[in-house]
Amino acid sequence: MTIKELKEMINLMEEHGLTELEIEKNDFKIRLKKGVSGTVVQEKVYSPARLTKDEGATQAGEPQQVEEAGVTVIRSPMVGTFYGAPAPDAEPYAVRGKEIQTGDVLCIIEAMKLMNEIKSEVSGRITDILVENGQPVEFDQPLFKIQKL
Amino acid sequence: MFHKILIANRGEVAVRIIRACRDLGIRTVAIYSKVDRESLHVRFADEAICIGEAPSSESYLNIPSIISAAEIADVDAIHPGYGFLAENPHFAEICESCQIKFIGPKPESVRLAGDKSLARETMRKAKVPILPGSKGVIVDQAEALRVANKMGYPVIIKAKAGGGGKGMKVAHNDGKLVNAFLTAQAEAEAAFGDRGVYIEKYITEPRHIEFQILGDSHGTIIHLGARDCSVQRRHQKLIEESPAPLLSKRLMKQMGEMAVRAARAFQYENAGTVEFLVDESEKFYFIEMNTRLQVEHPVTEVVTGIDLVKEQIRIASGQKLGFSQDAVKCNGHAIECRINAEDPDHNFLPSPGKIETLLLPGGPNIRVDTHVYQGYMISPYYDSMVAKIIAHGKDRTEAIQIMLRALKETVIAPVKTTISLHEKILHRPRFRQGKVTTGFIETNLIPSSVEQIETRKAG
Repeated sequence: MTIKELKEMINLMEEHGLTELEIEKNDFKIRLKKGVSGTVVQEKVYSPARLTKDEGATQAGEPQQVEEAGVTVIRSPMVGTFYGAPAPDAEPYAVRGKEIQTGDVLCIIEAMKLMNEIKSEVSGRITDILVENGQPVEFDQPLFKIQKL
Repeated sequence: MFHKILIANRGEVAVRIIRACRDLGIRTVAIYSKVDRESLHVRFADEAICIGEAPSSESYLNIPSIISAAEIADVDAIHPGYGFLAENPHFAEICESCQIKFIGPKPESVRLAGDKSLARETMRKAKVPILPGSKGVIVDQAEALRVANKMGYPVIIKAKAGGGGKGMKVAHNDGKLVNAFLTAQAEAEAAFGDRGVYIEKYITEPRHIEFQILGDSHGTIIHLGARDCSVQRRHQKLIEESPAPLLSKRLMKQMGEMAVRAARAFQYENAGTVEFLVDESEKFYFIEMNTRLQVEHPVTEVVTGIDLVKEQIRIASGQKLGFSQDAVKCNGHAIECRINAEDPDHNFLPSPGKIETLLLPGGPNIRVDTHVYQGYMISPYYDSMVAKIIAHGKDRTEAIQIMLRALKETVIAPVKTTISLHEKILHRPRFRQGKVTTGFIETNLIPSSVEQIETRKAG
């Protein structure tokens, strides 16, 4: 939810004479209510999962996203630390836009001092890299998006 | 004191441990399988890490995954809860080698007490009373027959790698023995990966009396009184209480001292439980030591006022036990009912599903330990326990009354639960008199229609 989107929602309410508007999406919910004096009052409601988590902590993971057509999400098969390259000064395995084949190494996940090469199950073009070098990852965490060609 | 602890468990015990950590100002890390994403322990913890697919072997028993999670979360200690890896000496050793403190006893104690045949031998050497039985593992049918005839029937065949009531077969004569012996071996192999079995004398109407042990790393070992867990179905406990009803103070003192002696023979540290069987003539025998926190720990906590999980954490962090044996007092009487999502009218068929309506009991003298909430989906992958209700009265009669009141208040719908069975048990005269033995459920309360119960003899 950006400020721009928020402003748009408020404008829509004014335009159509609405006094109350509530939107729920995934774990996020917002209610906009027009106050007595005419100003718009904002109530933000977070789902219980968010309330007990610290900002910087490892998240429980996003709920299943709707899969876009032709895009495969590569998920982590283990718990560990994500490394994008075989060595700190080496070229990363995966970059946005790169075409890869099934079996190509996408990254390394280090678990208990062992480096595990994570290979792609599909061929295609890498459209998104969802984690950062050195980031701890959990089981099933989305790592890459590969667009079928 | 620890800065951060990872809880290698799920469900009700994970919530319990997180609460103790919170009270002590320690940060908590939960681990969970994919299907436990919406679990309460995940929501409560400061951090949560998904470690694998639903099956326990891929998640809560997945040592590499759990250790990996512990490393990326940079924890000081792991609390294993009960079940899963709590009594796995291999896991305890790995924690040690990764410089993560395992909140429990030393791996050697886990290993020694975990081999039920070796444990018996250790008790024999320490002069703790044990049931007459085989010296070690029984090699073949011929030996089985010899040993059984020597001590006299009935006998019970147990898996040396078993425990918790699993992998046991009773035989009343030579004819049944061979079959029981061979079946027991096969089942032990399948369930525990070890076909070693031993034989013990079988007591037909025993009471199951266990003692809570606390030992610190400075050599102090004390007991926190007894629990009576005789109300069981297929060796799984349904109702537990503390103190043990009707047993004399003299007997309790004797057994308590034996329990401490047993723990010392295992060089025990942290929380554990020594289990005894008591026969009709009040002779008692060691059967096993559980090297973990137990499900029924709340009844001890409620009558002694001691928080066992906090003590576990303190002991593991190196602190001396803060109180002596004499300081442990028993106040009143506590009863716990384990509420399972099972259908008591249909042979206890598991009843997973969504909890649409949840009303938990409250008021004075009621404690509820649970991980369920309204809207929670009871998963079919794990055990069926949904809640533990604990009632505390000034005496046993009052505790029973309070428990009945609490059970009446409780609504867990539309899943089927064992609440109705608990109510039936609490109303039985034999239970009220405190004369329950482990055969009580099978002989007095076969789960089906009320008519069947009326035709059985009273008590």
